[in-house]
Amino acid sequence: MNAVQFVREGFVEIREHYGRTLLQTLGVILGVASVVATLGMTAGMDARRQQYFRESGGTRLMGVYNQPPAELELTARQRARMGLTLEDAEAIRGAVDGFDLVVAEIARTHKVRAGATEVNLRITAIEPGFERMRDLGVARGRFLGEHDLATGASVAVLGSTRARELYGSANPVGKPLVVGDVTYTVIGVMTEKVFSFRRNSNHNAHEWMNRLLLVPITSYAKRHLGPTDDRIDEINLRLVSAEAHEEARDALEQLLRVRHGIDDFGVWDRHERIEQGNREGQVYNLTFLACGIIALLVGGIVITNIMLASFTERMREVGVRKALGATGWQVFVQFLVEALVVTICGAGVGLATGVLFTLGIGRALNVVMAFTPIMFVAAVGSAAVVGFLFGMYPAVRASRLDPVVALRYE
Amino acid sequence: MAPLISVENIRKVYGAGDVAVEALRGVNLTIDRGDYVAIMGPSGSGKSTLMHILGLLDTPSGGTYLLDGDEVSNLSRRRLAHLRNRSIGFVFQSFNLLPRASVLRNVELPLLYSGIGRRERQRRARGALELVGLADRIKHRPNELSGGQRQRAAIARALVNDPAVLMADEPTGNLDQQTGSEILALFNRLQQQGQTLIIVTHDQRVASCAQRVVQIVDGRILREQKRAA
Repeated sequence: MNAVQFVREGFVEIREHYGRTLLQTLGVILGVASVVATLGMTAGMDARRQQYFRESGGTRLMGVYNQPPAELELTARQRARMGLTLEDAEAIRGAVDGFDLVVAEIARTHKVRAGATEVNLRITAIEPGFERMRDLGVARGRFLGEHDLATGASVAVLGSTRARELYGSANPVGKPLVVGDVTYTVIGVMTEKVFSFRRNSNHNAHEWMNRLLLVPITSYAKRHLGPTDDRIDEINLRLVSAEAHEEARDALEQLLRVRHGIDDFGVWDRHERIEQGNREGQVYNLTFLACGIIALLVGGIVITNIMLASFTERMREVGVRKALGATGWQVFVQFLVEALVVTICGAGVGLATGVLFTLGIGRALNVVMAFTPIMFVAAVGSAAVVGFLFGMYPAVRASRLDPVVALRYE
Repeated sequence: MAPLISVENIRKVYGAGDVAVEALRGVNLTIDRGDYVAIMGPSGSGKSTLMHILGLLDTPSGGTYLLDGDEVSNLSRRRLAHLRNRSIGFVFQSFNLLPRASVLRNVELPLLYSGIGRRERQRRARGALELVGLADRIKHRPNELSGGQRQRAAIARALVNDPAVLMADEPTGNLDQQTGSEILALFNRLQQQGQTLIIVTHDQRVASCAQRVVQIVDGRILREQKRAA
């Protein structure tokens, strides 16, 4: 008897006992379905997260911001040296390897006037590298350039929402924009960025970029700050390689500590945050997976139970097969393959159920779902292992049956 | 040439100690190739036990059993299964066809366990079914057949691996007079073709067909009648 024949016998057994087979596999079906559904959900969220990071500058972002120390007793000297400066940004550029973009930033609120509209808005003064850093595009006009920075030109670039707020449907490019008492010229409007973690949701995770009002940091410093004031609010950084984030971060902190003589800054590190998120995701994944595996085990116990319950019914069959020359091994393999065929078919049905279920949940909750091949392999593989483990005992019992006893059984 | 079957002082005890039951108390029997032997006796005489031992379904508690000149009472279960598969064909009182399989698949079963390929299996199964006159029923399920047809399917299954001996346990027990006679006619024809037959029965008509009639009472052979061929 070869493998194909054993498998065929397994299918014959299923065909003859639809009801029993369905009962037998129900546990496996539900187990596999729940594994697929939970993995599909977490995989979907994960894919969404990845896309969010990709569309907002990638995984290589880092930043330094002002964070005054908790101790209140500072010397005048220390107080005088506190806070990030443009020189800090220069020093990082010159002394720390591992960053390919260093962008100083000042963000303050001013009274802004465009035509008849006058509102208080946050002005972000930056360097042109910010465009690449945050993957910003330009819909109209152009972005800030190096020569704007070099000459301290009074030019501004607007996010799409800002442009609409200030100028309505008119083209803002070339129009004046008064910040405080300084007049800038709008030279560009950025492309609208939209991202939502859920489907059909109005929430836009990228909206803050649409609300940017950017000017060159040199122009801003010249026109809005005093001659001795070179304080900035943040230094945006981009790593050459995300893997080397810890080394670069250490070097950065080292440098600033020496320059300031005090820990007056904080560092955010997107790569680290992503890794932390992944670790949390893994905990969820494992929890869900454990639930699925418990369901599969229960399914396996059901299989054993039903195989044993139908065992007396099949004793005569085993006796006949043995009388006709089946060896114990052949009977063993027949029963085991039968259990495997039943569980793998159950896994197939469970996969289909799980996929439909997942898509249904995704639609109902407006969550994006994703399926990966690994999930299918894991689900079917674990079902096969369950079939193997729980089919073993009935198979051993059948194979050890004494032919005379089995034949006499009525 | 050694006789096909030779048993000496075969004993079979069920249970142990006080509750031990002696089913066979020293049976001696020799069966040659081409013999047609009827084993008769009252219920509980041990005739079924004897046939189970001769058919290698059961092992004796004592004595020797030479099948085709080889001692078989101490063989492994695996070797016994192979011998049952290739040397012995069984026919049961209640047919014992697998209800879920077609007649053809039932008859193919012993060949399946011999590891014979599908094409050859079907060819030989069809041949055996033709021999018993059931060639037009191969796709049917056992429950779609009459009792006599079922028993003929079972006989085809027993013969399909060309066994040295065909053993039947009350083959006419579940059949009416007419159908029983048809089965006996089939046995006669097989005997004429040289098939060795051992039949356990109550049926006097079987005894009148067989060349040798062995009477068993209380676990011993009481007497044997031989009929001139």
